[in-house]
Amino acid sequence: MITLTSYLFISLVLFLVGVMVMLARKNIVAILLGIELILNAAALNFVAYSRFVTNNLDGHIFALFIILVAAAEAAVGLAIVIRFFQIKETIHIDEATQLRN
Amino acid sequence: MNQTVVTYLAQYEFFDFLLKIFGQNTSLLAFLIFFLIAAVIVGIMATVGGLGTYAERKISADIQMRMGPNRVGPYGILQFLADGVKMMTKEDIMPKDADKFLFYLAPMLCLVGVFATLAVVPFSAGFTMTDLNVGVFYLIAISSLVGVGVFLGGYASNSKWSMLGGMRGASQIISYEIPVTLSILAITLLAGGMGFGTIIGRQEGLPTNWYIFHNPFAFIGFFVYFIGAMAETNRAPFDLPEAESELVSGYHTEYTGMRFGFFALAEYIEVFVVCGVAVALFLGGFNLPFHLEIDILPIQAVQFGIFFSKTLALYYVIIWARWTFPRLRVDQLMSVCWKYLTPIAIFNLIGCAVWLVVFNGHSIADLIFGSH
Amino acid sequence: MFHQILFLMSAALTLICAVAVLVTKNMMHSCIFLLGSLLGIAGLYATLGADFVAVSQIMVYVGGVVILMLFAVMLTGGKDFVSKAQNLLGLAPSMGNKWTFSIAGLVAVVFGLTSFLLINNVTKVVTIKTQNDEFVSTVNQLGHLLVKNHVLAFEISSVLLLGALVGAAIIARPKRQ
Repeated sequence: MITLTSYLFISLVLFLVGVMVMLARKNIVAILLGIELILNAAALNFVAYSRFVTNNLDGHIFALFIILVAAAEAAVGLAIVIRFFQIKETIHIDEATQLRN
Repeated sequence: MNQTVVTYLAQYEFFDFLLKIFGQNTSLLAFLIFFLIAAVIVGIMATVGGLGTYAERKISADIQMRMGPNRVGPYGILQFLADGVKMMTKEDIMPKDADKFLFYLAPMLCLVGVFATLAVVPFSAGFTMTDLNVGVFYLIAISSLVGVGVFLGGYASNSKWSMLGGMRGASQIISYEIPVTLSILAITLLAGGMGFGTIIGRQEGLPTNWYIFHNPFAFIGFFVYFIGAMAETNRAPFDLPEAESELVSGYHTEYTGMRFGFFALAEYIEVFVVCGVAVALFLGGFNLPFHLEIDILPIQAVQFGIFFSKTLALYYVIIWARWTFPRLRVDQLMSVCWKYLTPIAIFNLIGCAVWLVVFNGHSIADLIFGSH
Repeated sequence: MFHQILFLMSAALTLICAVAVLVTKNMMHSCIFLLGSLLGIAGLYATLGADFVAVSQIMVYVGGVVILMLFAVMLTGGKDFVSKAQNLLGLAPSMGNKWTFSIAGLVAVVFGLTSFLLINNVTKVVTIKTQNDEFVSTVNQLGHLLVKNHVLAFEISSVLLLGALVGAAIIARPKRQ
């Protein structure tokens, strides 16, 4: 039987995997992958609640805006990554230390 | 609830009979019908793709005053079967440093992306697998898997030609998606829905009701869509990803045997699909121009025939264009997309919206002949 | 029946591909597994009756974000970089070593247990309606909601997209010599 809990469980696993990707990897593109997973987990939660609990479409609207913001974030983030690579010739996150001190 | 082929069949008596055989198990019966129809459509489309290669060679031969293939079968029409057998029995070669996983995955992604679009292509009123209410949007979305497949095929081969071809292919497909989507958006605006059933239902009757003749903006929109679709399927004059004279054959240089066959099949079926979408959106789809009082099965066959003949006419135009025009340069390709097609498409979209408000949704023919 | 099978397949695709994103050492494979995971999420949206959201998900992610990611991986060489900077975890390679993975695992366990408690409470408190299998089209209602109730967010998002477009173009532009 498909209930709200099964969707919440999937969303939780996705969120945890996203956090682990963000923490375990030192590659900026990989960290962006982790962020995408986390955003998707949140959007899935919104749509699941919208179907099982509130019974209106505000959750769908929220999921759409999350998708939109994720797209914008990916575009700007990857532009920054490419610029960073042009300057430092690496995309290791520990090298991004110019604003330290 | 979406209209599907199962709900269409459920209107008729033999469905009840089938239901009795399966012990009133509706979902099992629905599954079986879907499976059967999907197998039929995939079979038909594989044949169309195969015959597409034959048509391409025969038409090019006609344009260049040659004979073309004429050995296998009458007029060489079984040439595609011979080619298929040749491809299946060829040795499957993989470059030494290729990325194995992605190398296997890339042709599959292309094929999946194309076959998944067939789920919503409206062959006739009943013979549409499912008339999703987000049909056109779904079709555009899922067909972008082809772009990923092309890109990965270029990357995984570990060859310079493939790499360049894959990069060009991905950027071209992404760029040309924009004018195509914008001109489709104008039509969904006119029809008031994204499902193919809704859009075709609004174009019933004489050709003056077709959306291409609805208003001048939609007329321009058809050509924008057609040029963009030609570029999206990597057809000449936009076949830069596989430009033979520069890149050997682009992203599928390193592929042999059936994997190469998958790429070729995907390309030919995708050409058919984009032509079918052009027919459904702009040229009236499967509609008969007059009302015909015949039984359900013959009328499906007639509608199927109308859809197929319109689509194959556009297919001919695409092949004709390939053997007539020279190939563009990369910078010309991008400037055609971003400097010409995209602004024109945006202009068309705004124009359609204004037309809808000013003339209350009437077409030119309505205004001239005053039908309402 | 249909519904359950679709749900199980989408859930399996989502979870297996998500774990594969974490496990694989190859950046390119990681992107492709992310693509699989996002397609699985689109399938889950479809089982929830959210047709428009599902198709938007496929449209934006498959057609845009994943190809952008693949481009970024290729434009940055796709190598396994090692930082020259000495930090707490030693010389960490960019795809992680056992220290980064164990820290991530620890954080995930803590997060997971906390969230599990929360989910337990939620399922007890919220009265869950029985699920009806009738799906109605959400497109019309979503359109009305977007231009009536949520019109401010809609307009702001268009400004955000324009900003992202211009910003990305300016940032990624190569330096003039």
